[in-house]
Amino acid sequence: MNDKILNDKSTWDWQTPEKQIPVKEWEDEFNWVQEPCASPDGESIAAIVNVDDAEFSVCKNGETWEETFEKAWALKFGPDGRLAALTASDEEWTVCVDGECWEGRFDYAWDLKFSPDGSFISAAIQQDSEYGMSVNDTTWETLYKNISGTLLGPLGNSAAVVQVDHMDQADIEAFAAGLFCVAVNGELQSERYVNIESICFDSTEEKTAFSIRRSRLDYSIATNSGPWKSNFQFAWEPCFINHGASIIAPVRQNGKWHLFKDDSDFWNRPFEQLWKPTVHDSTGKIAAVVSETFGRWGICENNTLLNFQCNTMISELFYSDNAELLIALFKDNDLWDLAVIRNGNVTPWGLKADKLWAPVISADTKIAATRMEKNNRYYLVVNGKVYQNDFDMMFEPAISPGSDKILLKAIKNGIYYRQTLSLDKVL
Amino acid sequence: MQDVKTNKKVIDEGVEAGLAKLTPEKIASVINQVLEKETGARFKAYVQTCMRCGLCSDACSVFLSNDRAPQYSPAAKVKQTILEMINKKGRVSREFLSDAVRIAHTECNVCKRCSMYCPFGIDIAYMMLTVRRIIHKLEITPLYIQDTVNSHAATGNQMWVKQDEWIDTLQWQEEDAREEFEDLRIPLDKDGSDIMYSVIAPEPKFQAGLIYQMATIMHAANVNWTMPSTPGWDNSNMAMYTGDFETSGRIARIHYEAAANLHVKKIVMGECGHAFRSVYDVGNRWVGWTAPPIELIHAIDFYHFLLTTGRIKVKEKYKKSVTLHDPCNISRGRGLHHKAREIVNILCENFIEMTPNKEHNYCCGAGGGVINCGPPWKGTRMVNNKEKSRQLKRTGAQVLIAPCHNCHSGLEDIVEHYELGMEIKFFGDIIFEVMEKTIFEEGN
Repeated sequence: MNDKILNDKSTWDWQTPEKQIPVKEWEDEFNWVQEPCASPDGESIAAIVNVDDAEFSVCKNGETWEETFEKAWALKFGPDGRLAALTASDEEWTVCVDGECWEGRFDYAWDLKFSPDGSFISAAIQQDSEYGMSVNDTTWETLYKNISGTLLGPLGNSAAVVQVDHMDQADIEAFAAGLFCVAVNGELQSERYVNIESICFDSTEEKTAFSIRRSRLDYSIATNSGPWKSNFQFAWEPCFINHGASIIAPVRQNGKWHLFKDDSDFWNRPFEQLWKPTVHDSTGKIAAVVSETFGRWGICENNTLLNFQCNTMISELFYSDNAELLIALFKDNDLWDLAVIRNGNVTPWGLKADKLWAPVISADTKIAATRMEKNNRYYLVVNGKVYQNDFDMMFEPAISPGSDKILLKAIKNGIYYRQTLSLDKVL
Repeated sequence: MQDVKTNKKVIDEGVEAGLAKLTPEKIASVINQVLEKETGARFKAYVQTCMRCGLCSDACSVFLSNDRAPQYSPAAKVKQTILEMINKKGRVSREFLSDAVRIAHTECNVCKRCSMYCPFGIDIAYMMLTVRRIIHKLEITPLYIQDTVNSHAATGNQMWVKQDEWIDTLQWQEEDAREEFEDLRIPLDKDGSDIMYSVIAPEPKFQAGLIYQMATIMHAANVNWTMPSTPGWDNSNMAMYTGDFETSGRIARIHYEAAANLHVKKIVMGECGHAFRSVYDVGNRWVGWTAPPIELIHAIDFYHFLLTTGRIKVKEKYKKSVTLHDPCNISRGRGLHHKAREIVNILCENFIEMTPNKEHNYCCGAGGGVINCGPPWKGTRMVNNKEKSRQLKRTGAQVLIAPCHNCHSGLEDIVEHYELGMEIKFFGDIIFEVMEKTIFEEGN
């Protein structure tokens, strides 16, 4: 759950019960206001606003950035509280962070990403019909014919699948020969393959692993050092384990899915489907979404099937930072719910939500908090209990370092509320 | 009326190049692998049950278009392809395979009309798709549709649309559509929207105006919607039609995971039939979802909801006489033909039924990936679409509504080739033309 790591929450205001920022009035000030986002500490709310004909800015807590843009999108707060957007001026795109734009200018920029602690910001870029990435305003030295599957690591390394040669229209021979490689920080790190998907880094970000298609029918797994020998009918996303020494990946053989490790069957059991492997490396825990029977979804952890099934989907599966909890966001009978798994025991919350987000988890794993929408109203949910107050819109909650308070961030009747709720009030 | 019947063998470079690489051992090995490992009781039941009664023949518009020549009967197509492969235990020649490609990829739209007339309900489309699976594994798929599948595999969309081109197109359409409403938006990646709208790649590539129109409809209907900037925006899936089930499954996964990542309640897809079949029925099942994991509705369902709940109001009905083509995959495949007629009657003054219609309608002749086999096959496609041209002509309508992209393109070819003089429109075109450009407010 690396993307849930927040910056130092002990410095946040956990004492003031409620703060309000009226946001409805922004609609009177600007021609229109786009969907707002809230900062991790809840102190700020921001939105892209239209200030004039084809002129946009960012309004944060009622104050607009000095600069205006022809276009702006993808506004988001990073984990460190910085506010970034993709912006265009004079038909050139860049990344603008807290109102300061990067020096780099591009024909196009998209796919804005923050590293888990917020210290790195990346975007995919296109310049003169060549493609690459830019990280903290440093653009890859080598650009390529196309780019996809971008990745930004916690240490600031960037990777993507790049097309290394031009392909004429409908040239299926050139395609079959392999046009794609993995590039890390702009440098090629793999052989050419027919297709490449799902790049991941090891913890040092010196190694990459990814799924490959060698030929029309042959799929496998590869690293920056080379591919596995075996061919499979298909392969999904790989993960590093054992501190980068090994790789696991779901692969398809004889019409069934298996979890393989370093090119050998690891769990030695077939599934109808197996994907979303998730790893907690220091504890050696490995879990994956599996389907033992067509149309029924479950979870396998360290090769043990958990006592859990749903019939629609499992959209997210991840460990808490200390791996004491395994969390599954799932849908059963077309309604969303959350399962909290501790020591192999599965506890569904029974929410029956229309929309549901992955929870944040306290450091001691005693508290899990999230938001859901039900009957067009938003609610805070803590440890499975639905907080009574409903809202028009809600942002990701936070939990105090002492696990005694919940930070609620929500909008109701045009007012943004930042509330610190003591746990006993919520539970 | 031009009658193209050249009797010349079509040269498809992709097929020819693939055939040249094949050995008898490879051919037998692939065929037997598919027959033994990838088919089961259903396949066996179909093979053993077909009595060659021929009742499927008149159901096939290709058969009717070719003066009822027996080789175009669905049962004959089975006999000439998969049955021969079974009987010869895979020991078939390159010449045989060349014919099998032509039959399975260009003389069958996998439209399933024949199954409705088969006394045993044999799914002949499935048999033809099994032939295409073998063709895929032998790497002799027609060139243009293979290139489309390559695009799916590399980019997640069928037309090599690069990610920046996709987003730029949406922003361009958003800007242009502010002609309709000054604050109109095409919200990108709006987390927690009610609806994710997905399209097929020809829209950003060639028909961006359709996105403009839908944005106007969404805005007027006051819908909380979004479109993904990421792969997953394209719901089409030609891999489903070439037997590349692996790529087909990946496409379905990307589509639904894009929706799950945006936490939407529902996916609304544009006016496309094969894409509906792909995400509703085929691709999702290959990965293990028995039904769409996120509710998915075709544009017809969505328009029906908007028009019958007053979210979109008709200012003045469309005056020209219209007829309606029922796309196979949403009519026979989903039963949306009744709602489609209700929409026509809400929108248009003068509706002329096509005959046959609803679930009995003839395929547009482009479906099942046939049009995607590209220019080499267009001449024979026009011959094979003669019956469809007669059906269209009988309506005498000025305008032909075709709520499917493949149908649209195929019908355009027919209208031009047979000089029918009809305009072809999507429902979205007509809604955009007749709607009140006011914003719906709940309770009013």
